[in-house]
Amino acid sequence: MATLVLDNGAYWAKIGYSQDKVSVIPNCQFRSKTSRLKTFTANQLDEIKDPSGLFYILPFQKGYLVNWDVQRKVWDHLFGKEMFKVEFPDTSIIITEPYFNFSSIQESMNEILFEEYQFQSALRINAGSLGAHRYFTTKPSELCCLVVDSGFSFTHIVPYCRSKKLKEGIRRINVGGKLLTNHLKEIISYRQLHVMDETYVINQVKEDVCYVSQQFYKDMEIAQMKGEENTVMRDYVLPDFSAIKKGFCKPREEMVFSGKYKTGEQTLQLANERFAVPEMLFHPSDIGIQEMGIPETIADAVQSLPEEMHPHFYQNIVLTGGNSLFPGFRERLEAELRSLVPAHLPVNVFLPENPVCYSWEGGKLLAHSPDYDEMVVMREDYEENGHIISGSPRQPAPAAAGWSHYQRNRRSILH
Amino acid sequence: SPLGGSGQVWIIRSGSDAGQRRVLDEATRQRRLTRQLEALEKDNFQDDPLSSLPPPGPTARLPAFKKKRRKTRGDHFKQRFRKNFTTLLEEENLSERAEPNYLSAAAPPSSLPPRLFCCVCGFPSHYTCTTCGGRYCSSRCLLTHRETRCLKWTL
Repeated sequence: MATLVLDNGAYWAKIGYSQDKVSVIPNCQFRSKTSRLKTFTANQLDEIKDPSGLFYILPFQKGYLVNWDVQRKVWDHLFGKEMFKVEFPDTSIIITEPYFNFSSIQESMNEILFEEYQFQSALRINAGSLGAHRYFTTKPSELCCLVVDSGFSFTHIVPYCRSKKLKEGIRRINVGGKLLTNHLKEIISYRQLHVMDETYVINQVKEDVCYVSQQFYKDMEIAQMKGEENTVMRDYVLPDFSAIKKGFCKPREEMVFSGKYKTGEQTLQLANERFAVPEMLFHPSDIGIQEMGIPETIADAVQSLPEEMHPHFYQNIVLTGGNSLFPGFRERLEAELRSLVPAHLPVNVFLPENPVCYSWEGGKLLAHSPDYDEMVVMREDYEENGHIISGSPRQPAPAAAGWSHYQRNRRSILH
Repeated sequence: SPLGGSGQVWIIRSGSDAGQRRVLDEATRQRRLTRQLEALEKDNFQDDPLSSLPPPGPTARLPAFKKKRRKTRGDHFKQRFRKNFTTLLEEENLSERAEPNYLSAAAPPSSLPPRLFCCVCGFPSHYTCTTCGGRYCSSRCLLTHRETRCLKWTL
């Protein structure tokens, strides 16, 4: 009997057996200009020699799984003999779904997991719940945490009281990695070079050069300076996929500050783009999205919950998802929150060593915990009861009762 | 008001501007912004490489008879599994459902005023284009703006 943990993200699938390590694999299909007839699935991306103009086929739209044709093709590959060689009758699967997942999507997922693949048992759970479980395992004395999950499609703020998410405190900001990359593509295309078709390359640029500023207007001033005084400016060498396989940022020592480069390489000059793009996570209104940024949303979410819980949340903010990898993200978030939160409440923002895989790691721990068997849905139960159990099994008590329940039973939880 | 009505255009002759300058009304400006934001949601900006293949030539083998349609695991499966996000969201009928739900979880608008950036160079901006409402920081950027984006893609 094995347990497969699959954090089924809109961009990356984080997958691995609970006794093994995690693999991070694209959760989509690709097509390339150079081999038009072939469709590459998931990690077959590595076979593509020239990813210029790479065409993405994603199963997710706005963070929700809508295209099952594509998802099944990716899963067939991941579960098949080239990858995880799943023996379905003997395998349990932990699989993530987005917050407030649509009931029709949940039903489709149940059908596909139990009727098509025929897993022995399955647990559908939010990625943040796995992250919270991971967090509480390292900090068993804490009662609450606030998961900030900033990924490809959007950013969620989710308050947890041990294993229970407090639904009334959940917030969604419609800014994610996809938006950041598309915006970067747009401004580069307008200012320097047409790159609207180069999602793969510009995504790499974003990950290599972008950072979160700690002093936004000061960095704006520096970025406007000329020559060597402009310490923000970087030159990025674009790949040509023959001599230069992968793009890279030129080190400061090699940069030519006046005139052109002697070599024939194509470069991008990035100054305010470096920190203005991730700034959208903090100020979505910068590009006209009428929503609060992450710090303001956290304060708004916590405010909506009982006052005695506030210190517990502010002290245990956990960052997950790819966007938390931007240099300076954690520090900036903590600084912004410090000015929003009442002075007598301590603020602590925790960035795990691997924020992308943190939830997966929580799944690995959950698979080995004694509660696991009670949480999963067995295939036989699904076949007998079908839609009745399409929600999570054994629903916990409503959130309002949760806090006093935990206060009363603190000792038994903390053992 | 000269700026009222949908898509109404008010033609201004000004001394410094020898030609005519349109002024877009608020509704049109909002539509442009919405379109820009929707474009940021796209997965790809180019066509599917497969769809741009030329159609098969006269030597391609055409089926001589209509193949019997193989019944896959319920073809209704596929129809249900291909609905787009907007359709699925509508089907959830969230306005009838109790909160909290997907719609109520959306982050509210910020209490802070928006920061304004030049639409050409991205640096902080202090001026607004009278025609389309786009922000600029200097006369050089205004010139670039007028020559490139100002009235492009106006609905």
